[in-house]
Amino acid sequence: MSGIELVQLSKRFGNRVAVDALDFAIAPGEIFGLLGPNGAGKTTTVRMLSGLLSPSSGDAFVFGHSIRADGEQLRRRIGLLTEQPGLYDRLTGRENLLFFIKLHCLDRGQAWARALGYLDRFGLKGREDEPCGSYSKGMRQKLAIVRAILHQPQVIFFDEPTSGLDPESGRMVRDAIAELAAEGRTIVLCSHNLTEVERLCQRVAVIKGRLLALSSVQELRRVGVTLELRVGGPAIQFERALAAIPFCRSALADGNVLRVGLESEEEVPRLISLLVAQGARIYSAHRAERPLEEVYLELMREDAN
Amino acid sequence: MAFQSRRAAAVFWKDFLDLRKNRGLMWTLLVFPAILVMVPAGIVFAYVRDATDASLRTMALFYDPNFPPGASAARYLIDRTLTDWFGLYLLMPVFVPILISSQSVAGEKEKRTIEPLLASPVSAAEIIVGKSLAAVVPAAVVSLAAFILFCGLVDAASWRLLQEPLLPNGMWLFGVLVVAPLFAFFGNGVAVLVSARVADSRLAQQLSGLVTLPLIGLVGLQLANLIKAGTRYYAIEGAVVLLLDILLVIAGIRLFDRDRLISRWV
Repeated sequence: MSGIELVQLSKRFGNRVAVDALDFAIAPGEIFGLLGPNGAGKTTTVRMLSGLLSPSSGDAFVFGHSIRADGEQLRRRIGLLTEQPGLYDRLTGRENLLFFIKLHCLDRGQAWARALGYLDRFGLKGREDEPCGSYSKGMRQKLAIVRAILHQPQVIFFDEPTSGLDPESGRMVRDAIAELAAEGRTIVLCSHNLTEVERLCQRVAVIKGRLLALSSVQELRRVGVTLELRVGGPAIQFERALAAIPFCRSALADGNVLRVGLESEEEVPRLISLLVAQGARIYSAHRAERPLEEVYLELMREDAN
Repeated sequence: MAFQSRRAAAVFWKDFLDLRKNRGLMWTLLVFPAILVMVPAGIVFAYVRDATDASLRTMALFYDPNFPPGASAARYLIDRTLTDWFGLYLLMPVFVPILISSQSVAGEKEKRTIEPLLASPVSAAEIIVGKSLAAVVPAAVVSLAAFILFCGLVDAASWRLLQEPLLPNGMWLFGVLVVAPLFAFFGNGVAVLVSARVADSRLAQQLSGLVTLPLIGLVGLQLANLIKAGTRYYAIEGAVVLLLDILLVIAGIRLFDRDRLISRWV
């Protein structure tokens, strides 16, 4: 059984198609990245998968529960960290958590003991009796994470979990996500931080309304070839020239280093000849691993064209 | 989905706690009833102070052209004021839930707390019940406390003239215990419905507050002697509002769904 299965999942708001026929599956225990620019439908997809929005057509199943039919069952099994923490500012951290313990009808003693463990883990222990309005942005985000996981959901949706956090807190949150996945929970991570996605996710879906790519991070990086060339003098002069060459997917100059994206290995000799013909002195050339960011930007460019 | 009173109670607990910590709103809840209590008590005091003033008889004759020559115009006007004032007193059970519900429903959208709330297993009906109780119970408590204070002040102000307590009388008891709760549910129902459609708590308050205008209009008609108020009149008002309450509950449950609440941010 899939952890999450999307079947032609679509959502329209009036005439605007926000999500168009998404069709893929996420395995139980997987950390899955959902990438896309602002307005690509990531949040709408997460809202549908967490039972907040009903799809216009299609369906999705979260551990066998239809998002159309099994709202309550579905919401018992999911945890959601929204882009904004959404805490009750006048209430203390403890009161915020107790409210959700009550909503989930959990055993108060056990759930609070678990919450205290998480608070300790995130460095919030001792601050639980302060009003949330007095918390820093990082503290708010961490408390919202505790709220999202205290009922031990099978699936957790994280929408920009490290947005606005300092590096130390960001790392703490990433470690916690990895630990939750290690416990067997399925994680769906929406993020603009591609390094974070690259570090945490096994697979990613790139969406822009519709699905643009679905693959493991490694496979996605393997699409095409990226060549890193060290040239004599500034590489920027060649970047401009290569931009017009059809077999070059991308060209990026950084000092005297030129990173060129190609369709396949077959085009490497052609590229070298072309650069030499343009007067380039090439001191070294090696195949570089493509960062996810480069692949992502390329997909966005291709879609725009 | 089965209704779970535990979850509705949790919503009530949270909203009530939030209300208690909202000093601005608490002050508003105290000031508004205080005005509605002090003003009529002041009017009664004025009538008692100048009970023999000839202009009082003129006023009494405006309301009742057959007003008997030997009767106390001050007493007549006090009775009349207390009867008519109940129409304005009803603003309190209507307006207090509007103040609270607008904050608690549209406020959830405004502060983006609604998403985590709706992502929990709580149902729309449980949210409505919890939030409605958190608005109606304080309204009932405030209205009752204001009524007790009102009785004390009016009786104190009128004692010199009447030498007997004037309040509580049958009409006010019926009004406070039967009609006022119906109006409180009405104010709450309107606020929940409006708040579910708009994203701004102030806009929700302003729009919901418009329902008080007909009530003020009715009191205006009473003062212009076009409507004669009394227990029967307020019972009819109550029956109409009960009907509206039922319609509001049906509309509220239909319109308070996750999709609408999440989609309609503006």
